[in-house]
Parts: sequence; C-alpha cells; structure tokens
Amino acid sequence: MAYHGSTVHIACSFSLVEILAVLYRRHLKLGSEPNYPDRDYLILSKGHGVMAQYACLREMGWLSEDQIRAYYSDGTELKGLADASVPGLEVNSGSLGHGLAVGAGLAYGALRRGTSQKVYAILGDGECNEGSIWESLLFAAHFRLTNLLVIVDVNGYQAMGLTSEIMNTDSLEEKFAAFGFEARTVDGHNEVLLDQAITELVQSSFPGPRAIIARTVKGKGVSFMEGSNIWHYSRLTEKNYQAALAELSANAAPGLRP
Amino acid sequence: MRTAFSNALVAAAKADERVLLITGDHGYALFDEFRHLFPKQYINVGIAEQNMVGVAAGLAKSGFRPVVYALSAFSPIRVLEQIKLDVCCDELPVLFIGDGAGVVYSTLGVSHQSTEDVAALRALPHMRILSPADSHEMKAAMELAFQTPAPIYMRMGKSDLGPVHHAPLKLEWGQLLPIDPGDGPLVFVATGSLVNLAVKLAKDWPGTAVWSAPFLKPIDMDSLVNACSRHRIVVTLEEHNIFGGLGGAVAEIISQEHPMPICRLGVPDRFSRFCGSYSYLMREHGLDLDSARSQIHAFIKKHPF
Repeated sequence: MAYHGSTVHIACSFSLVEILAVLYRRHLKLGSEPNYPDRDYLILSKGHGVMAQYACLREMGWLSEDQIRAYYSDGTELKGLADASVPGLEVNSGSLGHGLAVGAGLAYGALRRGTSQKVYAILGDGECNEGSIWESLLFAAHFRLTNLLVIVDVNGYQAMGLTSEIMNTDSLEEKFAAFGFEARTVDGHNEVLLDQAITELVQSSFPGPRAIIARTVKGKGVSFMEGSNIWHYSRLTEKNYQAALAELSANAAPGLRP
Repeated sequence: MRTAFSNALVAAAKADERVLLITGDHGYALFDEFRHLFPKQYINVGIAEQNMVGVAAGLAKSGFRPVVYALSAFSPIRVLEQIKLDVCCDELPVLFIGDGAGVVYSTLGVSHQSTEDVAALRALPHMRILSPADSHEMKAAMELAFQTPAPIYMRMGKSDLGPVHHAPLKLEWGQLLPIDPGDGPLVFVATGSLVNLAVKLAKDWPGTAVWSAPFLKPIDMDSLVNACSRHRIVVTLEEHNIFGGLGGAVAEIISQEHPMPICRLGVPDRFSRFCGSYSYLMREHGLDLDSARSQIHAFIKKHPF
C-alpha cells in the first residue's frame, strides 16, 4: 500500500502489526458484517497506523484487493488516516486524542446495556501528549469501565523525533496504575506474551479498566526503518521497497493461530 | 424558558430511557428535578469537555440519545474539533445545549460569554442550530430536536425576557415565525433574546414586520425570501457577533435570492471590556433600544426607501 500509494506513515504502522494480529485473530468478537451491532470495538485512536488495520480488514474480507491497490489515489475511500466511514473502522482519529473518549463512551454504553462487548483502544505514546487522553483515563476509571482495554503502542517516537526528548511520556505503566487502571508492560512484538497479557487482563476480576503498555519498535521488521524517524514521512522507492519486502519475507513467521 | 427546557427534557427522558443527560459539572439547580426522577439517566463527567463530547459520540454510536449540557462558552467553542470529528462527521444524534449564550454572564467576563458559537457551528456539515426566543419556541424546539436523530445545537440565551408568542407552537425545520405583520419598508428578522427587542423597536416605524428565526441552520430560503420581499430594508438582530450568525446567514441568502440592503445588528466584532449587569453590557455593545434605534436610523439615511 505504502509503495503503490507513495504514502507516508509506514513506520508507525509497522509498530502495531503484532498487536492488531493478536487482537483480530484471538480476541475480537466481530460479526460477519463490520456493523454487527453487538461486536467488540477496536478503536485505533492513533489513526496514523491505519495501513496496518487496512491490511487486517483485507484479511477479514471487508476490503477488496482493488481498494487496497487504489489506496491514496483520487476518489478512493481509503484515506491516509483512520476514518469511520470505512467499514471496520470505528472512529475518525487522524487528529490525536479523540478515539479513546469515543471508545470510553462505547464501553460505558455497553455496560449500561448489559452486553458483554469489549472495547480495545490502541493509543500511541506520542498521542499521550494530548490532554484529552488523560480526561478519558479519569472517566474510564471513575465509571469503572471493566470492559475497556487500552493498549499503548510505545514505539518511542513522535512526529519530530524521540518522545523522550520532545514530551516525555515515560513510566506509562505507573501513570495508568495511578489513574486507576490495572496496567502491565509487555513486548509489543511478541505475540505469545501479548496474547497472554490480553487474556489475563480481560479475564481479571479487577474492578476497573485495564491497560497494556506495549514496548514496540517504530518501523519494526525493516532494518533501515527501525530507529530512523524519517520513515514517519519518507516514501518508498522501488529499490528500498524491494529491500523491505525481501527482509520481511525472509523473517516472516506464521504468527498465532486464530 | 428554562422551565420549558427542563420540562421538555424530563418528558423526553421519561418517554425514552435512551435519553441521557451528560453534563460537564454544570447545571446546578436546573437539573434538580431531572436528577431526582431519573438518576440513572444523569451523568456528570466532570470538568473535562473534550472527553464529554467523545463519550457522547460513543454513546450515540451505541444507540443512546445523549443530551450534552454545557455553557455555550465551553461547548461548542472548547470542543469544536470533537463536535466536528466525533459527532458531525458520523452524523450522530447528539443534542448540545449551550446555556448562557451571548453575554448572559455579563459580570463574569469574556471566558463565560459566547458571541461566536453560531459562527463556529454553522460551517460544520450536518449540524443543525436552534435559537429559541421564548418558552413556546423552546418547548417546540425541544420536541423537534428529540424527533430528529442528528447533531443539533440548542442555543439558550437570556431566558427571562417574557413570551413573544401568545400560544403553543409547532415547528418545522428552517421556518421563520411571524410575530408582527406589516407592509412597511422595514422587516426585522431577530433570533433568541433579541426578538423581544425587535418587537419594541418596530413601534418606531409603523408597518414594520417582525419575524423570529428559531432556526439558524438550516434557514428555509423560500420562507426567508417571502418574509423579506415585500419590504425595502431587512434588519437582523442577534446577541452574537455580526459576523457568521443570523445576519451572516440572512445576507448569504438574500444577496443571492432577493438583493436588498441588510442592516446587521449584533455585537460589533468585539469582546466585552467591562464588567456590569446584562442591560449595561447590552447597551455597551449597542444592543439596547436607544442604540439599536439610532443604528437603524443611520442605516436608513444611507439607504433611503
């Protein structure tokens, strides 16, 4: 998608591939249709990683190969940032700090209606600069949203560089715990550990919302992208597209079964 | 008017348990009855407006009918982006109540006043804006709002000026309501708190027609053109900036459909500099009877009939 569309934001999509894979394969209860009323909600609050979710929606059969091929071209539905008009996407989250509040409203609504729906909200560590995130964390804890699991994709970077240098959001596990979440930190690229942490937190009897601080690498899987923030903006050439593809193919593993 | 609002809200919550009142820690006393009758449909989300609007969007997505109550100075202005992206973009049925619109909080200063809320919201696709003038309009507007599953902003301004209508009403989206008939050269189109002023002002020019505009978006084009076309000058009156509110909306339609001089009375693109009573501040902004009269006289001089 990134190569054919000549697009930006590939590195922040690569940091959440395993998180999305584990959620889609092992945890999300979705219906046969994207708008199935009692579905679990996957909220991609860091809408910049939407290419990874488009790939999942393709796997679900909700997007066609033609739509994926046409990404970023004139008159097509798939935009560069998450948009709720796309079947399978729940929120408009190109502007950061929006998705979590909407997810909290969905979680609160599900509790009021007495359904077993869960809400999984994926944030970025850079996104945690936004004050609205912290408003929503207060709300989630105060209203005891036990059906809300927040996953922070901590890839350590934001648009202009290292998060630790621009606006430090370190010690996120402690911050979430202090706000009233059951929180734990895991390797966000280890599907077994992610799966285990999500399972334990979802099944936990903790009387409030839960959070996973997922340590990830921006550009994961492509050595020239890892730790190089220019891939927040850079577009792939034919040469580095082939190199990235070769490296990803060589290291491809089947991942966890659904 | 506030009693009409409160009664309509209570009636809606009683008729439909999906109606949820969400407040950002505002509405002391106003919601006593509601809280007493429907404690489970009342949600105070604290002093956190961004989250409040996102939560309302999430609740609307899951089938509820949220009513978001705040001062109009905070919602829509502080949360314009949430209203745009979380609510309007997905055409969700969220009813926003903006209380204290205009300069109602005259003694508290600019932070609690809102003369830009309509301008900000008019440019959001799918948003509908109501601006009732009295208890009859408020009751009918609330009924219409609950019948319409869409993003709606209810602008609630100065509420104790007395009725401008004599009987209960039914409203249809976009229509103007006749207050005083007349075939003179002037027609007044006013909204909210200034309908009352318009009625008093009209006595200076016998034959002046007065209309109330309870809808600031949409405004029915034919209804407006019909109201204006028999006259020579249209005067708009609103407790809002002269840019982007009722005057702007009327100018957009009239300049295209039936060009005629338009005198826009409102807050002349300025903040309140001074503290004072409501009537003091209205005078200070040129929106009392005498100032409005002299502004219209000056306009007529420039545009003789």
